[in-house]
Amino acid sequence: MRWLLIPIFAVALSARAEDQSASTISREVKDIFDHCKKAVVKIHGDDEHSELSGTGFFIDPTGTIYTAYSVGGEGNNFSVEFDGKRLPARQQVTDVRSGVAILKVDTASPALPIGKSENMEVTTPVVAIGYPLDLPETPSLGLVGGFDRKYLGYYFHTTHLRVNVATQRGEAGAPLLNLRGEVVGIVAFTLENNSSCYALPIEAAEKIRSDFLRFGEVRHGWIGAKLMQALEGKGGSYAEVTEILDSTPASNSGLQPGDILLRVGNREIHQPDDIIDASFFLTAGEAVPITVIRGDEKLTFDVKADFHPASQRPPVIAQPSMNQALPLRLQKAPERTP
Amino acid sequence: MDEFDDNEIGRLLRLKKYEQPPPDYFENFLHEFHRRQRDELLRQPLWKIAFGRAQDFMMSLNVASLASYRVTAVLLCAAVISLKIYQTPPTPNVARLTPIVPAQSVTDGGWSLASPVSTRITVTQPRSHLSTHRTATPPRYVLDSMPVSYESSLRF
Repeated sequence: MRWLLIPIFAVALSARAEDQSASTISREVKDIFDHCKKAVVKIHGDDEHSELSGTGFFIDPTGTIYTAYSVGGEGNNFSVEFDGKRLPARQQVTDVRSGVAILKVDTASPALPIGKSENMEVTTPVVAIGYPLDLPETPSLGLVGGFDRKYLGYYFHTTHLRVNVATQRGEAGAPLLNLRGEVVGIVAFTLENNSSCYALPIEAAEKIRSDFLRFGEVRHGWIGAKLMQALEGKGGSYAEVTEILDSTPASNSGLQPGDILLRVGNREIHQPDDIIDASFFLTAGEAVPITVIRGDEKLTFDVKADFHPASQRPPVIAQPSMNQALPLRLQKAPERTP
Repeated sequence: MDEFDDNEIGRLLRLKKYEQPPPDYFENFLHEFHRRQRDELLRQPLWKIAFGRAQDFMMSLNVASLASYRVTAVLLCAAVISLKIYQTPPTPNVARLTPIVPAQSVTDGGWSLASPVSTRITVTQPRSHLSTHRTATPPRYVLDSMPVSYESSLRF
């Protein structure tokens, strides 16, 4: 009889443990949702097709909003629902290359803390808070499914987070949060059947914002070299420079075809695909150290990046110091005629 | 009335006081009443008699309750007739086929790396047409099914 009771007791204990872990996850998600939903806003606007509705979130206490380019990139007459009111918003920066748009509302606001998507790994749990359709703010829990550089055969501008979060229309621009309530990504677009979505890493959005704050414009940089898979790797890298384009920073940098790329800035290169992120974070006008192996020799060149040919200029809508809704330029008053 | 003063009226009343019906008057009263009634009926035309009979019959069937049925039936008939009238197809107009304005491409200058590639539904009607229905249609809830843009080669 005693032997019969032991397995029953074990099953009861395991069931209780499962209940406890489920309730722990639920409590954590609820805490994140309760704490962060105040900083998530519903964005309204219109474009040449129709009215549009999406999601965004405050990232500083002065009303700066991150959202997806598909929401805030090409529309007009933006407004956000915040604190029970509908406030007018204006575009500050839109960047189609990264897929991010920054809006500004003239109000004091809560702000979500910025995290690091680089610290995440596959199966890390994440929470998205968005406004699906005409419904109120909604939390969605999921896991990081992968870090992808291409989708359906095409390369992204930078690595995107693929998360198993079921998102609906209206949730583009929603913040993707880790379980500490920090933003690690911006929901960009959905995969087939809406069971998963891609999110732009928050570092990419921060690069755009940093450019804007430093230079008053977005500065996608480039060097002007082309890579391919090397037949033989050197120094742990298989990224071989195959072409140096004319009239580019690379043409005068000392880089040569046949060099094996080891490092661009602070990013190590092992495969040609690694250049995608290294390239995205280049800033036009800034010098970046590039390390290569030529023969058996390791060489480092400081190359001043130029504007990426694919970058839209001017991508800036407002100046960093411009907080007024209508920028005015004072001109000399015309002379009166007698 | 001028020839009848108070004295004259008093005299006539005193004379009436002594007037008495014949002794069998009250016994034959009911019989005489029915006879005169029948005589009156027989003097009316036949259609009037039939109408009266029918009216009496209807009255015996509690006309008040039947009145509501009558009103309901009339209303029902009126509704059916009006529906028939409104559902009659109008005179067919000759359709004027207007050419659909092709949607403008986002990139007029051809393909470039910065060109947004998306599967947005492009509306082909002019904007003024849309604005008239803007208040009635729900907004476009945004969540693209494809990336906004992507690189095409390993250049940096």
